[in-house]
Amino acid sequence: MSRKGIWRGLAVLFAAALVLAACGSDKKNDEATGGSSNTGKKAVTLAFVGPLTGPNANLGINIRDGMQVAVQEANEKSKKYTYTIKDFDTQGDPAQAPGQAAKYIPDTSIVGIVGPTYSGETRAVLKDLQANQLVMISPSATNVTLNSDPATDVFHRVIPDDGVQSQGIADYVTKKLKPKSVALIHDNSDYGKGLWEGVVKLLDQAGIKVAVTDAVDPKGQNYSVAVNKVKDAKVDLVFYGGYYNEAGRLKKQLTDAGVTATFLSGDGSLDPGFVVSSGTAGGEGALISCPCRLATAELGGDLGAFATKYKEVVNKTPGTYSSEAYDASNILIQGIEAGNDTRPKLLAYVEGLDSYNGISKTIQFNPDGNVKAGDVFVYQVKGGKIVELGKASELAG
Amino acid sequence: MQHQFWQVTIDGLTVGSIYALIALGYTMVYGVLRLINFAHSEIFMIGVFAALFTMHALGVDSERTGLALGGTLVAVVAAAMVASATAALVMERIAYRPLRRRGAPRLAALITAIGVSFFLQELFAARYGRDYLGFPRLLKRETLFKIFGAEVKTQMVLVIVGAVVLAICLDRFVAGSRLGRGIRATAQDPETAALMGVNIDRVVMLTFVLGGLLAGAAGALFGIFFELARFDIGFLPGIKAFTAAVLGGIGNIRGALIGGLLLGLLENWGGTVLGGQWIDVFAFTVLVVVLMFRPTGLLGEALGRARA
Repeated sequence: MSRKGIWRGLAVLFAAALVLAACGSDKKNDEATGGSSNTGKKAVTLAFVGPLTGPNANLGINIRDGMQVAVQEANEKSKKYTYTIKDFDTQGDPAQAPGQAAKYIPDTSIVGIVGPTYSGETRAVLKDLQANQLVMISPSATNVTLNSDPATDVFHRVIPDDGVQSQGIADYVTKKLKPKSVALIHDNSDYGKGLWEGVVKLLDQAGIKVAVTDAVDPKGQNYSVAVNKVKDAKVDLVFYGGYYNEAGRLKKQLTDAGVTATFLSGDGSLDPGFVVSSGTAGGEGALISCPCRLATAELGGDLGAFATKYKEVVNKTPGTYSSEAYDASNILIQGIEAGNDTRPKLLAYVEGLDSYNGISKTIQFNPDGNVKAGDVFVYQVKGGKIVELGKASELAG
Repeated sequence: MQHQFWQVTIDGLTVGSIYALIALGYTMVYGVLRLINFAHSEIFMIGVFAALFTMHALGVDSERTGLALGGTLVAVVAAAMVASATAALVMERIAYRPLRRRGAPRLAALITAIGVSFFLQELFAARYGRDYLGFPRLLKRETLFKIFGAEVKTQMVLVIVGAVVLAICLDRFVAGSRLGRGIRATAQDPETAALMGVNIDRVVMLTFVLGGLLAGAAGALFGIFFELARFDIGFLPGIKAFTAAVLGGIGNIRGALIGGLLLGLLENWGGTVLGGQWIDVFAFTVLVVVLMFRPTGLLGEALGRARA
């Protein structure tokens, strides 16, 4: 073989090795999620429906990890059942949701769903879920009309909807922060644009006007245009609608430009990545509101224990909606443990659930599937860490 | 809006300077090889990472002042320049030269460039993760002076002065030195240049090294300014710099500098007037309009004809 031939041969081998490696890792994933053991226990499957890849995967992954903790604990305890999770990756995209539904609906081993993660993808599959009596508990879908349009039995969620959240934040802003005027910056995504819509309307009624609105490019780094507008408008409060990376970057550039207005961002920003983007000094004082409870080991109690267990199981710190996902999974698991191991039985169980004492909150479902408790929590960046200040309603006084 | 004008202008010049430094690499390689080196944005990314690791190695954990600041800045920028230039050199040697040797069509080199770009991105993603890495703060953000009410801060001065000085050095080097003459000769007519005794391979290597050095410097300045690194951080600045090179006239060194600064200004002005979501739309609309009237870009002069 000539020298050139050897190089070509090596290149082909390298390419083949890459392909084989890729196949190998796929197989491993299948076994991890689809395997079942022969212990005489009955196998039941919960479905994760939401994004695991794609641009908005972070919440989906937090939820999937929260589920993992609940399922692992159940498997350690349960004498009757072995639980497995099957993943249905929608990328958070309403257009991909029906395609995934066509896979999990015929799979009769699946008795309940944790998810879907986002509102759009939830609406896209609700009718099919209803037709198949497949119960869902979303830890994170917050659109106001999901419970009524279409009206279904299968729909449940463990966090308050956008309307309830908006009221909570508006109260907090008007009573506690008392700004004269506000700026509204978003990332031009549906989520970012819609996040503060309700709050801004309520503030408008209270006489607090939006002095300036602008958008930033999530892919870009330079937010000086938005920063200059905020600075020029001399507002007291900056609302940001978008995810943590951009929120952190914007907050840092505002701080660097000498803007002292309070910075308030939403659930998409509640991630340690915020502080990576903002830097410790740049992020200081930023407020983040979320209807969720962010579990940290320092909190102690049930949330602290969950954070410790989470670290053990998935080797990460819990993220936004991890604790809600854990609660949602546990409601389904509790139902199954009581013998409700078919779709209609489990649906009837969740519908008839009186109250569940979760780690994020005490969960009671209204007949329409909404959760009764309407608490919104406010977090603040202090010394490079995100700490919980408390419930918005209590902070408002 | 009027009283934001000067501030927006200064901010625009700052990002524009970074675009210009990257654009010089695109333009040089294009001038010599007629190749759009799409992996150039990853050469820039390597510069950002190199700057970050140099800061870690030097133990930067708080703002520095005086001599320590100067020394650290020089070390960080130099390390990034060396890292990027090395990467560019290796890339040329492994990915492009074999193609050139075999007389592969230009399209093959273009596809290779895109492949190299993906390869480098995924390599860094696999090694350093898909999340942002933060920089320590090296340079204290102070307002040095004001122009018409616009605050000119230390980091802006660093970026603008650094970029313009490097661009002028490059221009002088290509226009005045013996090696530069080789580059110009090759850009004009590679075959004749080879007949006249110019070593084409060496000229191509030199071109990649120069482009790499400037991209590395841009990476370091970007890192000090924005304080973030990620595997795909080169993508947007890379696209913008390519646009800047075309705007100024691709293959033209002064065109790249002017194109970069102008693009930075246009973006910021456009974003201020039309809203932040229109930044890219506005910049590219201007590009299309300019190309309609001046298809070869604003200066439209080839590298080979750059005057001494």
